[in-house]
Amino acid sequence: MDSHPSFAPSGTQMQVPGMLDANLRVRGRVQYAMDAKMPGMLHAKLLRSPHAHARLVSIDASRARALPGVIAVITGPDLADRDDIYPYYGPIFRDQSVLVMDKARFVGDPVAAVAAIDLDTAQAALDLIDVEWEELEPVLSLDDALAASSIVHDEPPRLGQTFADIIVRTEANSNICNHFKLRKGDIEDGFAKADHIFEDVFTSPPVQHVPMETHNCVAWWENGVLRLISATQMPFSVRAQLAEIFKVPQTRVRITVPTLGGGYGAKTYAKVEPVTAVLAQVTGRPVRLHLTREEEFVTITKHGMQIRMKTGVTRDGKIVARHSTCYFNTGAYADIGPRLIKNGGFGTGGPHKIDNVWVDSYAVYTNLAPAGAFRGYGVSQAAWAYESQMDMIADRLGWDPYEFRMKNLLNEGEPVMTGEPMYDAHFKDLLATAAERIGWDANVKAVRHGNKVRGKGLSVIIKASVTPSTSSASVKLNEDGSLQILSSAVEMGQGAETTLSVLGGEVLDLRLDQVSITHPDTDFTPYDQGTSSSRNTYSMGTAVKMAVEDIKQQLFKLASDELEVAIGDLEVFKGRVQVKGVPERSVGYGDLVRKARAGNLLATAVYASNGGLDPETGQGIGSVHWHQAAGAAEVEVDLDTGRIEVLKYHAGVYAGRIANPAQAELQTEGNIAFGLGQALYEEMIYDGGQLQNGNLGDYMIVSIEDMPKQISLDVLERHESHDIHGIGETSLPPCMPAVGNAVFRATGVRILDLPITPEKVLRGLRAIARPQAHGQEIDA
Amino acid sequence: MTDRRAQGEVTATEDGRLAIPAMLNGRQTTLVARPWHTLLETLRDQEGLYGVREGCGVGMCGACTVMLDGEPVSSCLVLAPQVAGREIRTVEGLAAPDGTLSDLQQAFIDHTAFQCSYCTSGFLITAERLAEEHPDASREEIRHYLAGNLCRCGSYVKILDAVADLLERRRAGRTAD
Repeated sequence: MDSHPSFAPSGTQMQVPGMLDANLRVRGRVQYAMDAKMPGMLHAKLLRSPHAHARLVSIDASRARALPGVIAVITGPDLADRDDIYPYYGPIFRDQSVLVMDKARFVGDPVAAVAAIDLDTAQAALDLIDVEWEELEPVLSLDDALAASSIVHDEPPRLGQTFADIIVRTEANSNICNHFKLRKGDIEDGFAKADHIFEDVFTSPPVQHVPMETHNCVAWWENGVLRLISATQMPFSVRAQLAEIFKVPQTRVRITVPTLGGGYGAKTYAKVEPVTAVLAQVTGRPVRLHLTREEEFVTITKHGMQIRMKTGVTRDGKIVARHSTCYFNTGAYADIGPRLIKNGGFGTGGPHKIDNVWVDSYAVYTNLAPAGAFRGYGVSQAAWAYESQMDMIADRLGWDPYEFRMKNLLNEGEPVMTGEPMYDAHFKDLLATAAERIGWDANVKAVRHGNKVRGKGLSVIIKASVTPSTSSASVKLNEDGSLQILSSAVEMGQGAETTLSVLGGEVLDLRLDQVSITHPDTDFTPYDQGTSSSRNTYSMGTAVKMAVEDIKQQLFKLASDELEVAIGDLEVFKGRVQVKGVPERSVGYGDLVRKARAGNLLATAVYASNGGLDPETGQGIGSVHWHQAAGAAEVEVDLDTGRIEVLKYHAGVYAGRIANPAQAELQTEGNIAFGLGQALYEEMIYDGGQLQNGNLGDYMIVSIEDMPKQISLDVLERHESHDIHGIGETSLPPCMPAVGNAVFRATGVRILDLPITPEKVLRGLRAIARPQAHGQEIDA
Repeated sequence: MTDRRAQGEVTATEDGRLAIPAMLNGRQTTLVARPWHTLLETLRDQEGLYGVREGCGVGMCGACTVMLDGEPVSSCLVLAPQVAGREIRTVEGLAAPDGTLSDLQQAFIDHTAFQCSYCTSGFLITAERLAEEHPDASREEIRHYLAGNLCRCGSYVKILDAVADLLERRRAGRTAD
């Protein structure tokens, strides 16, 4: 597990620590939402449906209400009776009710909530709630859903405010939640030009984010204002939803967000907040809801996916057509599925120059736990399909997978699948480095040592960042020359607050200890769309830099009078404005602020990216810029047991400019851990709608011992670039196909369904009469 | 009553809970808990030691690891009455009373061995014991020893670097002595 980062530190003058509050973090003193304690605080528990699909016939909570220590019990029907509450939420469709009112749609759907003086009492009260269910035919798979003999949502969707980038196309009396279309070029003509056409079906299972800190919040009402301390990646989205639920202006909801114990997409959009807020309202006391690990597993997941991918190539190795049909299993409630299918759908176009692309991507309702944003945002599923298929095509036609990729990867200015030209293209550099680092040799497929065989695999991916999107930031320069950044960026381990402090501070050439940044507080920190989509450093970073730049211009104006020189002759240097190159003629920021009699200098900036896709063709601007990554794996497969060990992994990602080198490495290494888990272990296993492995005893995530012993990173930086590319997710999607391709080269076994378990490999080995006959072998 | 507590015996409080004498981060204290309460929830709710965190509740993730009589244990699997008369050390007890970080904590900072840092407390406790028990551990042995602590952010490369570096520094220190 030796790491060899290859990038040089960025141009900043600052010493950049990974985290400003590192000292607190190693002393166990950093505060998470779950550490908040309020006077008189009650503890909440939820009663959940034991059925995947069942009509609520009756519910009686009178025995629970009579239990000493129980302060309130609310049920779905209670909410339905209230005129002052709109009991629905969901970021696109308001298809989830605060508690089940008509029918439960997955095992774990909350139907009643208890607030009690302690957790023991709340837990005991759950057993005293009597519920009568009438079981309905459950929709447990994509096949069930498409057969439509049972419908998860009978009513047409209640639409909320529209997102700028989402096209809603639902189908009545079906389980199709949304449909995204991409039509590029002439697909029939494309396949007519192809010499070879391949069609394969790939699947990815639902997996869970497993943030170490599960969803939790504390809610209370204070002078008519709903207050929350919540572990959310999107305080403004949650605020909007709560304001809608309680029919109050957004100013009557105030959310603060401390540092998060991991998010990875799980903590986007309202989850635990609505029901906790209702309990707080009903009891008039602060209420905490903190999910158990088992509850976390059914709160939000990665989309299970099936992709049928048909690709046409010419005999000289050019891809001329691709047709993908994608089904994303969005579970019982849409969450952000209707948008995610867009990114996952156009994502199947891959980082290749393909003139003719046709994509139908569907979000499909089933009676499983809701699926939503998950690190990679649909692209992991897409890349598992296209990067596996790249190697399958190369193998069938006897080509080198490396050369086949090189022949098709996008060059500068060539159109991506959404039709816009690719700028700042680095796919080929990333792949070349990956191949070099892994020791790629087209002539050696497998190397066998006794009953163990080794092989290598490559992959390259393209990923969008949500576009259009908006971030805003306010900054204050104080009388002592210190800079305060008010930002709604959520710190969830990625070092956002440190990185933004660096980006803001360097505009005024300040030391880091002269810069401070707030946690999000919707009353005081300006709007941000959310900390997701690898967008924070770029989008919020741009807003912060713009705001501090405004402060700098204000300082120049003040200094121009003070020093009697033209603004154009001024520069900042170590906390002072000086005449260019003449430190003797300078004035400190604090002096200027005081002379202005302003108390502090203020500035606010908004960064909003532009773009969007045509609803019929999916052509337009898919991403403000495109994220690029490559992966390379070397695996060793035990032919007796099917066990796979990843010996070596290389992650390459284009970063543009690196703002925080330590965090850039950490996030990239984190993607490797995340990706290898999904490649080899992770899968939510359902039986009759019941999750079988919703705990960390049965659901395996990667431990330190599972990490490859050799890891190399290529966080590619272009020093002249001021464009920061998000890297929070980018190096994740290559992991799964890189491992799958390596397993294939080693053994000849092609796994189409994630994860790549020993059982599947053994079954594959048995299916191949003589695994030794595969490829060229060298006995070592 | 006081005598019995001094001898490490569990006694009943007036409201029917248990008074559990124990040494906590170097000071004698009395934990108060119901018989079924875990050490984890008692340390958090009663002692305000929020560095001890639940990750899985079933002893698989290591986030709630504390030292019990010098051995790392998952505090979610220990019932509070079981610690009567015993010595508990949590992440809050690693730094010196004046706040000076231990060499292990410093190594984690030097190597930026965390992201969200939720799991960091548990890693520090396990690594502290590793350093005592196996001062010459190889990187391979460190990986094996720390396999019971999970980090979902995947800061493992840096954690391994930090612990290996710590052992190195301590070895250098011993040689210098």
